[in-house]
Amino acid sequence: MIVAERKPIDEIIGFVQDCKKILLVGCNECVTVCYAGGKKEVGILSSALKMAFSKEGKNLDVKEATLERQCDPEYVQQLSEYYDQYDAIVSMACGVGVQELAMRYLNKQVFPALNTNFMGASQGQGIWEERCQGCGECVLGRTGGICPIARCAKSLLNGPCGGSMNGKCEISKEVDCAWQLIIDRLTGLKQMHMLEEIFPVKDWSPAGHGGPRRMVREDLKS
Amino acid sequence: MRLTYPDSIRIIRLPCTGKIDVIHMMEAFRKGADGVYVAGCLEGECHYLAGNLRAKKRVEYTRKLLDEIGIGGGRLEMYGIAASDGPRFAEVAEEMHEKIKALGPSPIKGAIQKGVLL
Amino acid sequence: MVKDKTGAIMVVGGGIGGIQAALDLADSGFYVYLVEKSSSIGGKMSQLDKTFPTNDCSMCIMSPKLVECGKHLNIEILTLSEIESVTGEEGNFHVRLIQHPRYIDIDKCIACGTCAEKCPKKVADEYNTKLIKRKAAYIRYPQAVPLKYLIDKKNCIYFRKDKKCRACEKFCPAEAVDFDQKEREITIDVGAIILASGFQPYNPAISDSYQYGRSPNVVTSLEFERILSASGPYQGHLVRPSDEREPKKIAWLQCVGSRNTRIGDKGYCSAVCCTYAIKQAIVAKEHSAIPLDTAIFYIDIRTHGKDFEKFFNRAREEIGVRFEKSRINSILPAHDEENLEITYLNGEGKVVREEFDMVVLSVGIDIPKESIDLAQKMGVELNHYNFVSTGYFDPLRTTRPGIFVCGAFQGPRDIPETVTQASGSAAAASSLLSEQRHTLTKEKEYPEEMDITGKAPRIGIFVCHCGTNIGGVVDVPKVTEYASKLPNVVVAEENLFTCSQDTQVKIKESIHERQLNRVVVASCSVRTHEPLFQDTIREAGLNPYLLSMANIRDQDSWVHRSNKDSATEKAKDLVRMAVAGASKLSPLYRTKLPVTKRGLIVGGGIAGMTAALNIAGQGFEVILVEIEKELGGFAGNIRTTLQGDNVRQYLAGLIEVVKHNEKIEVLTETSVAGFSGTKGNFKTVLGVGASMHHREVTHGALIIATGATEYRPKEYLYGEHESVRTQVELEGMLLTEGEKIKGWKDVVMIQCVGSRNNSNPNCSRICCQQAVKNAIAVKEINPDVNVFILHRDIRTYGFAEDFYRQARQMGIHFLRYKEHEDPIVEKAEGKIHVTFKDLTLGREITIESDQVVLGTGVVAGDTEDLANVLKVPLTSERFFLEAHVKLRPVDTQSDGIFVCGMAHGPKTIDESISQALAASARACRLLSQDYIEVGGIVARVDPELCASCLICVRACPYEVPFINNDGVSEIDISKCQGCGICASECPAKAIDLSHFEDMQILTQIDALLEAS
Repeated sequence: MIVAERKPIDEIIGFVQDCKKILLVGCNECVTVCYAGGKKEVGILSSALKMAFSKEGKNLDVKEATLERQCDPEYVQQLSEYYDQYDAIVSMACGVGVQELAMRYLNKQVFPALNTNFMGASQGQGIWEERCQGCGECVLGRTGGICPIARCAKSLLNGPCGGSMNGKCEISKEVDCAWQLIIDRLTGLKQMHMLEEIFPVKDWSPAGHGGPRRMVREDLKS
Repeated sequence: MRLTYPDSIRIIRLPCTGKIDVIHMMEAFRKGADGVYVAGCLEGECHYLAGNLRAKKRVEYTRKLLDEIGIGGGRLEMYGIAASDGPRFAEVAEEMHEKIKALGPSPIKGAIQKGVLL
Repeated sequence: MVKDKTGAIMVVGGGIGGIQAALDLADSGFYVYLVEKSSSIGGKMSQLDKTFPTNDCSMCIMSPKLVECGKHLNIEILTLSEIESVTGEEGNFHVRLIQHPRYIDIDKCIACGTCAEKCPKKVADEYNTKLIKRKAAYIRYPQAVPLKYLIDKKNCIYFRKDKKCRACEKFCPAEAVDFDQKEREITIDVGAIILASGFQPYNPAISDSYQYGRSPNVVTSLEFERILSASGPYQGHLVRPSDEREPKKIAWLQCVGSRNTRIGDKGYCSAVCCTYAIKQAIVAKEHSAIPLDTAIFYIDIRTHGKDFEKFFNRAREEIGVRFEKSRINSILPAHDEENLEITYLNGEGKVVREEFDMVVLSVGIDIPKESIDLAQKMGVELNHYNFVSTGYFDPLRTTRPGIFVCGAFQGPRDIPETVTQASGSAAAASSLLSEQRHTLTKEKEYPEEMDITGKAPRIGIFVCHCGTNIGGVVDVPKVTEYASKLPNVVVAEENLFTCSQDTQVKIKESIHERQLNRVVVASCSVRTHEPLFQDTIREAGLNPYLLSMANIRDQDSWVHRSNKDSATEKAKDLVRMAVAGASKLSPLYRTKLPVTKRGLIVGGGIAGMTAALNIAGQGFEVILVEIEKELGGFAGNIRTTLQGDNVRQYLAGLIEVVKHNEKIEVLTETSVAGFSGTKGNFKTVLGVGASMHHREVTHGALIIATGATEYRPKEYLYGEHESVRTQVELEGMLLTEGEKIKGWKDVVMIQCVGSRNNSNPNCSRICCQQAVKNAIAVKEINPDVNVFILHRDIRTYGFAEDFYRQARQMGIHFLRYKEHEDPIVEKAEGKIHVTFKDLTLGREITIESDQVVLGTGVVAGDTEDLANVLKVPLTSERFFLEAHVKLRPVDTQSDGIFVCGMAHGPKTIDESISQALAASARACRLLSQDYIEVGGIVARVDPELCASCLICVRACPYEVPFINNDGVSEIDISKCQGCGICASECPAKAIDLSHFEDMQILTQIDALLEAS
């Protein structure tokens, strides 16, 4: 899932300080699950913004709406009936959602309320870790299912660097060395021979280094 | 044990402090409470095992949020009080009342002066 | 023709044991008379500050049971009552009681406390162990049930001085005082009786050696409980009585009135004092503002209960409680006459004089004279210590058929053991009267509920004066006038006493005449009065959840007496909030689910078989599952009990009876493979027989009785030398190899093998008794043999102390070795050398022994698989964890699943039997219902909003929510406990707790903070 967190309130207030009425839009997918932009967080941010305004003697009218997904035009369309009554739209979705709103509602300013962090997995209540960088050419089949691109600080493809100490990465004792994990796992699976083949220099063009990516499935297209 | 405590306090009943939500505390402040405190069981004595521990974390989170918007997290507190400990209840009420009195009225404009105990 | 038995049971004694027995019986279809000598139930537990080993607040955990007992439709509490005689027989007893007058009409008293306030006579308060005064008109304690005042005739001025005074009568707002009340004789017919009259603390004034009664700073442990208590004489501030200053040093003296045949013939160990002294020392240190020195003077530390050893370790290692192994020489007033000087022999054998600010006497459990008289009136035999005499294998049955016993009157024991026995005695009595179930119980009928869907709120509000309790401070007419103008309010009335019978009639009339669909009562606490008003509106056809209360007494008039205006303003605020909340209330319904009237028991040892027989005896089918080929369990290895009862014979008989009971289906070589469902309706998949073929069984309750195993030693040459055996192995030899034993000259027994160490921190409870038993048996076979028992503490708690004394008299040597300096066992020619450092002599000793016997501990069996399947938690030592260590000792956290025997922790056979009966009582409480009601205040998921994020699944402390086949969270209302944690964690706001919905809470906040 996409993991995000709320921006500092001050920054959000900065976006909307001249507004009287705003539309605050949550998303019921990834950002709900990571406690950043679901219906609950929409309620809390709404209350916080209104309170911050009233502290300054100003009034802010907030319309709360939480869409099933902000990254699909049909759901985004659901705001069309009333969005125009508001001075601005604040999105509590990931960066994708913010842009979908911006592209659909051209005459409204759309502001992000979240910082979108990474694609990751939940490691128990309240803990998320990065697992994938969307490089467009998956190597997991050769690295025991553990990604050296997302989880090695240097994204090394042919074994650890000299900084791996007691299974931990040199950037922090909190971070596991991805290559230690890969080697432990392959040893356990008796598949260490897979590492004997050297990875060639990686082609980073599918990773977005060749410009914004787009995917078309002819079989699904209408 | 009919001890007295400050008359600024109003109590809202919940089945367990585990039911307290960030939005309840936020809205109490937005509607003009000068202070809010959550009174739960002593740690380790929650009738529902972990409710007060969850509540404590939510109170911490809300305090930070209140700091962020300039209301002041110090206006929100959580206390653990044993059900039989009337004197402690009164003591906490007094403590909270004095604390809020020292902080002065809520910066929310037009707020009425009151404390709320959830 | 044989007369039908009576479906009512009398419980004598309203302490925690009596309360538990009464609740279990009343919930299982019997009408209960709970007879209590004093003015309220609660017993000794109500006087305790904290309870070990969790240091839970005693009153906090007990008061829900008090309230439940007080309002139970099928429990009739008879306070101030004493038994005069019991005639008739098992099944049909006639009990004659005397009820002493209270001088206050229980139906009129509103517990406002005016009588006590106005009473001019001050007398010593027994509840607070006479450390402070109360009035002659009083209640024992604020949470007392029934919450009704009484007049103490002995001290009342009216009775003592020619009918003068009458202050209470004059000021009572409810006209409840009645000086004309007379002693009343009552005759009651019951089918069985449970004796639960408890104990009294030993009175140390009998002995002149403790300075008790001479120095105010020498107190008993019960007095110290009151000193520590927040509701006690010093409001929980730890001060000593002489000058009310904080003590810097406190000493506890153990075994005061116990383990001593000289003083008042109390040779037994009181079993609870070591652990409560540790508790008190810990709590005292917590209370003390200055660093407090606490020293416990003891003979043996007996922390043999479940997890008690860890509590002891925490006290000495982390908290710094001092333990001095010494029976002190003397205690004398110090020079300043307030401190006390204790002289004792320290660990190195030196005489030490030490001054303490305060001394606590850890007094033992004693049987009061009234109980001895009671037993005589009832025709029940007592043992040599005046405790009720029972058989080892039938520990809850007295010598008179139909009369059962539980708690401290049967033997010294702590709260969980008392609660266990209480449930157990309820099971035994129920089994006797099972055919009479539901013949005398009452059930309330209610009219059909009005449908209020789509109707606008029409609220009636009833504001209470509570005599002058509210009306004397709050301007009730003004509040009522204010309330009448609030939105949706159609009726606003004020009443002198809203809780009185005539007001209930008025409320019902209003509901009918004005078509009310919500009711607000502005009076007192929901804790005490919500059930009453809910019942009233139900009687008028309203759903009980359509009631809202504003507490303008406890939260207003009582606590803001000095400012009437502001109290009136606050009352308006509270009323406005309650009215706003009421308009958002919706009816809640409870669903009835039929109960599968069958029990499943896992484990066919003594505990499992005992439970099976009792459930069958109570009229229900049972499936008894045993993993081995034969029934019997670990007891098959035991020859006799310490008391000399023949275990083998008993076990063989028990197996036969179980096998031939037509209600019991025995499945051997069977294990549990799968488990689902909720209380009342479980489905279990069993792997049956050698082929392990799967069979699905349905049942309403499940009892875990899987037992435990013996620790297999890796130390002391066990398995390497033929003359090193375990106590269980020695026991096997006693029967068959007597000749060999006759050849022994020296036998060394080593205790705490595999217990009380790092890998198993707990005490195994039974090994000391086992060693004493086998040592005596060896000595009887071979009187010339030297038996040495190397130990750390000898823990022969309760009456087992007699056998420890006997063993010493027989010349068996008890020698202490030091913790962390285990004895060394070495091979030597033909012999085994055991070397250890003797703590009394302070030097190393080597014993050349023919035989070394290891007192091996009890370890849990393979509990993990079963725990996983049943989703029941284990302790860190892998025993099954009870729902509450004090008050729910055989329940697990999963409703409908119970635990007994060694699966719960190490215990003796008689203790396992009591616990098995208790588990049966709890299971039958469920099985005796035709249906269970679920729902009410529970969490509900809106599947449309659910993001399937798993947060509720992870957050629920009871593991109730799960993601269902539709991919959304589902909460089984029959399992939900209603705490609301999931609702407040849900990031999609898909979960709400009914009756405490977000919208309802926010409405209340809005209304409360709305500028009036």
